[in-house]
Amino acid sequence: MSEKKLDQYKEVVGEESISQLYQMADVLRGRSVVHVNSTRYGGGVAEILDWLITLMSDVGLDASWEVLEGNAPFFTATKKIHNALQGFRQDFGKEDVEAYEAVQIENAKPLRDKLEAADFVFIHDPQPAGLLALCPNRKGIWIWRCHIDASRPYRPVWKFLEPKVEGFDASIFSMPQFARSLGHTQFLIAPSIDPLSEKNLSIPESEIEAAIEEFGLDPERPILTQVSRFDRFKDPVGVIRAFHQLHTHPKPQLVLAGGGAADDPEGAVVLAEVREEAGDDPDIHILDLPPDAHRTINALQRASSVVIQKSLREGFGLTVTEGMWKAKPVIGGNVGGICLQVHNFHTGFLVNSPEGAAMRIRYLLEHPRLRNRMGGTAHVFVRDNFLLTRHLREYLTLMLTMDRGNSRRVIDL
Amino acid sequence: MASVSPFQIKACALIVEMDGQPSAINLRELRDRAERCSAESIYHHFCETQLRPTFDDPEFTNDFATWAYRVLRDDVLAERLGIIDPGESESVEDLRTSLFDAIEERLSELETISMAERGHGFYFMRSSMVCFDTDMRLENPEDAMWALRRMTRPSIYYHFVETRTRIGNRNHDILTWLRGGGPLGAELAESFVGIDFQHYTLRALRQELLNRAHQILDGGAAEA
Repeated sequence: MSEKKLDQYKEVVGEESISQLYQMADVLRGRSVVHVNSTRYGGGVAEILDWLITLMSDVGLDASWEVLEGNAPFFTATKKIHNALQGFRQDFGKEDVEAYEAVQIENAKPLRDKLEAADFVFIHDPQPAGLLALCPNRKGIWIWRCHIDASRPYRPVWKFLEPKVEGFDASIFSMPQFARSLGHTQFLIAPSIDPLSEKNLSIPESEIEAAIEEFGLDPERPILTQVSRFDRFKDPVGVIRAFHQLHTHPKPQLVLAGGGAADDPEGAVVLAEVREEAGDDPDIHILDLPPDAHRTINALQRASSVVIQKSLREGFGLTVTEGMWKAKPVIGGNVGGICLQVHNFHTGFLVNSPEGAAMRIRYLLEHPRLRNRMGGTAHVFVRDNFLLTRHLREYLTLMLTMDRGNSRRVIDL
Repeated sequence: MASVSPFQIKACALIVEMDGQPSAINLRELRDRAERCSAESIYHHFCETQLRPTFDDPEFTNDFATWAYRVLRDDVLAERLGIIDPGESESVEDLRTSLFDAIEERLSELETISMAERGHGFYFMRSSMVCFDTDMRLENPEDAMWALRRMTRPSIYYHFVETRTRIGNRNHDILTWLRGGGPLGAELAESFVGIDFQHYTLRALRQELLNRAHQILDGGAAEA
């Protein structure tokens, strides 16, 4: 569990902002909040819960985190549900239904008393959604937090999940584009980054220089970086095609930093395609990094003149947020949550093709002062909107709103 | 100086929710859904954008105008929607009528209507706001500089936007209090009331307030 304290964020967002979080939470002091998901380690949801539980406890809530115990057939079934929610056709059969239901029943036994007594229960994603029906004497407010795009699910699987989630008191989606009508209130809470995490904290210049040297980069020439898995939706091949259309002086260098190819067959195929597209260009650096290379990614982003995220399909796009936090303008694909963060001539440029990416990169390399100004705007935009303190504030606001019946636009505490 | 009670600085927090309408992907759908959506949704898209975690579009001041400009690429409509001032409307229904009329007028002029690309529709949202006291109090108008430097963006929003635009309950509390604080307070209030708040981010609005307060209290421009 994270050992950070809310007070540590004062230096980032200011003393008053932190003080106001304590003031808001004071009304909820001592109330019990239980979060349930299906994994303690790895993945974005576990990362969020790691700090959220700590900070909720810090402001006086009785917050705890329960993890569903599953087995291989269950995780096979929930992987299919996950893919189906994002619109991919899945063969979801009777054995999947049985595996899903069995794990819900097995986990409800030890959790029931605690969940039924809790003031607020947040169920994260579809994996533990069946617990609601197995806690008939619940006294608190139950909220389904859907972290994935559920706007266009594969219908047969949605028909299985829908009755399980529509009974919640409310749901939370990351963006309006991801929401699905469910017959109850659908709140919108965007994801956030932790400015004090290894991936985002300030690091000494010497560490940035060491990363430049480690990967054979030339500190005298501009560095362009895309950080993402080797996945076709992230369009790494398109980034190389954009790079090949740059004929600026000095010649820039491209870093494609990703990971996961070792244990992902599709990732390995995409990595091979990327290597083939790169050919023997010595200025394209393809880095297959381990999953814990957070400080390396931090250093590479900080070493860059421009951060790229030329996705063809994207969720919220936290790598964009991370790049902007490091005061870099971002060239981003005109999809998903990237559109909420990248605004032409302000925080970067949205592009629709390799040609568009090449054109905007050339423009930014040619205008260093504008680049710096856009990077500064991007940093302030993230500080005001996409740090975990805003995320915590919205959770508290949601709890206060639901606690008062969610019937008035303005609630005076 | 007249004797006044201390002024309690408040803060607020917003939680956004879907309004229950399907997204609009063209101007006709925008018109139809704007006619049916909740009053809270109309208010949200006109007045609450500065506090929501989205980029403050420096060109247009409400979500309808921004969508017309950025998604439909209809500059004429964006301009007509952008000039609608919620501060001048007596009710949310007045605001809705202004919106509806502008869209209708534009529809009557167009031969063909543009469609939004997938994922770029207009999503009708509304919000709930929680307001609470902070530990800051103004004892007299001279405290304005100190307070403005410390106030968070939500506090700036609450006292200089929300209480000024809240339809049916516009008390603009901080200006009312300043006016009761003698000639200096009245001068500050008159200076602040002239700010067109819609054309600022909350950060920039605080800086503008600081500049004006500094000119009156110290006779110069405040440091950024």
